[in-house]
This record gives sequence, C-alpha cells and structure tokens, in this order.
Amino acid sequence: MPYLPTSQAFLEQSALLLEAYPETTRITTKYSFPHQKKPQPSSTTNTSNTADATSTTPAPTTAPVAALTLKTFNPTAGICLKYRTNKGAEVGRLITGLGKLAGGADVASLGVAATGGTGGGMGDVEMVDAPAEDGAAAAAGAGAGAGAPGGSGKNAGGKGKKKGGKGKR
Amino acid sequence: MASHLSHDEFFSSLTDLLSKTSQKTRGSVFLTQKPLLDSKSTASLTAGSSNLQPSILIRATDGNTNAPNPKSKDGKITKITSSKVKISTVASPDELEAFYARYAEVCKAGMSGLKKRDRKRKAKAKGGAAKGQKA
Repeated sequence: MPYLPTSQAFLEQSALLLEAYPETTRITTKYSFPHQKKPQPSSTTNTSNTADATSTTPAPTTAPVAALTLKTFNPTAGICLKYRTNKGAEVGRLITGLGKLAGGADVASLGVAATGGTGGGMGDVEMVDAPAEDGAAAAAGAGAGAGAPGGSGKNAGGKGKKKGGKGKR
Repeated sequence: MASHLSHDEFFSSLTDLLSKTSQKTRGSVFLTQKPLLDSKSTASLTAGSSNLQPSILIRATDGNTNAPNPKSKDGKITKITSSKVKISTVASPDELEAFYARYAEVCKAGMSGLKKRDRKRKAKAKGGAAKGQKA
C-alpha cells in the first residue's frame, strides 16, 4: 500500500489502475481529524500554582489539522494506491482530478500538466497489467518522474529495469 | 440501502456533514466513488470496451465517527442509538463534469480543517518547501 509522493503521481497511477480494471476499482476520499487524546486527569488534581500553569497551556494549542487521504483500491488485483495531504489548497485540484478519473480519463490527458511528456505513457500502460509488485515499482518510478519533470524518458527506462529485477526473484 | 438522493439533496447533506465534522474537529468523512454497473451496462462493457461510460455512484458517510464515545468514564459501555450518516447519489456520464465542479466546491468549502494557504510564511519557508518537493 504505497503512499505516492505527489498528487499528480497518484492521479496518474489511479488512471492506469482504472484503465486496467474499470469495473471493480473504487476511489475513497477520507477527510479526517487525528485521534485526540483526552487531557490527563492528573494535571487537574495538582496544586493551584501548577493548575494555573496548565490552564494557560491549552490556550495556545491550535485546532487539530485534518488530513485528506485518497485511496484507489482494486479488490481483485489487490492493488491499493494512496495519497495523503493536509493542505487545503489541494482539495479543488484533487476533486477535479477524481472527476476526470470518473469520466474515464486516460493518463495522457492527466499527465500533460506536470510531467510534460506523454512519451512514457505506453510503458506505463503495460505496467498496470502486471501484478501488484510491479504496480508498486511503477508507482515509485512515476513518483521520481513527477519530482523531476523533463526526464520522463529516462524514468521510463528505469522502470523497465526495476520490473525485470523483480520478475527474476 | 436507502434510495439515492438527487444532486441537490446530496450536496446539502454533504455540506452539512463536512461542516459539522470540521466544527467538532473530530471524526471522519468517507467519500467513495465507483462505477455503477447494472446488468445492462456490464453486458455492454464486456462486449468490447465500448465508449458507453457507466454512471458513477458517489457515497458519503461519517462511518459513525461522530457518535459519542460509547465507553463512559466508569468503563461501562452504554448503548447508543446509531447516528450514522450515509448518503449516496448517482451521476450519469453526461452530468459528471457539472457534478464534480459542484463537488469540488462543496469539498473546498467544507474541509476547513485542512491547512490554509499561508502567504506570510512564504519567505521563511523557502528552504522547507524545497525539502518538501524532494521528499
């Protein structure tokens, strides 16, 4: 269950998974707040001096930051792709991306924005047909590609090598 | 499963659900999307990936995470009537774009618990941002 480094990588890999298994793949978006620990009862039973000190401390604690976790899961292939963020600015882009995925968008239409090239698209399509291990390898490769745009051709080669290594073992 | 809501009902319920969760700063909201396949559309899909897209089923639930903690202070488990929110709607292929435009707006507005865009920290956070991009 890899967490992908960028939202672009997540959307691209999800598109590939949806392309391979359009009927059984589902995307879940979880908006959640972290589990909150209850304040320790021992602090309230202290003397008045320390009680004053502790009463001031809760004030500066800011509200907990929620997290947004996106998960693309295919139960039959057992492939699960995840992406996690806590930035509010990303919500709009992510949901729009999910809309494109729901509409059956392919990698080319998603990938133009960030990776700059669709040349690696063919190689990627082959990857998803392979079992989960290769999916993870492809995900890692795509992540590296998104991190360094412009070098997508090189990355496609790297992915192929990675896949071969895993297959032999 | 209860019948699907119309888009308007779904969005108003979802807005409500997200704002409640954000106010409480506790609990989760789960949003799921998957293709809705009836026997007819499955047949057409298997016949040879035709350009006929299936409708998309969108579900939203709080997974009962907004219910109070069932364990009271005494360690006794008090039974609470379920308050789980569970809503769903269906978007056909031709209304997908309009649906997701509204969906994005509702989510952007409702998910106020996420980090806001912080312009003040821009100058200071340059090193940090570079680090984040590498990771």
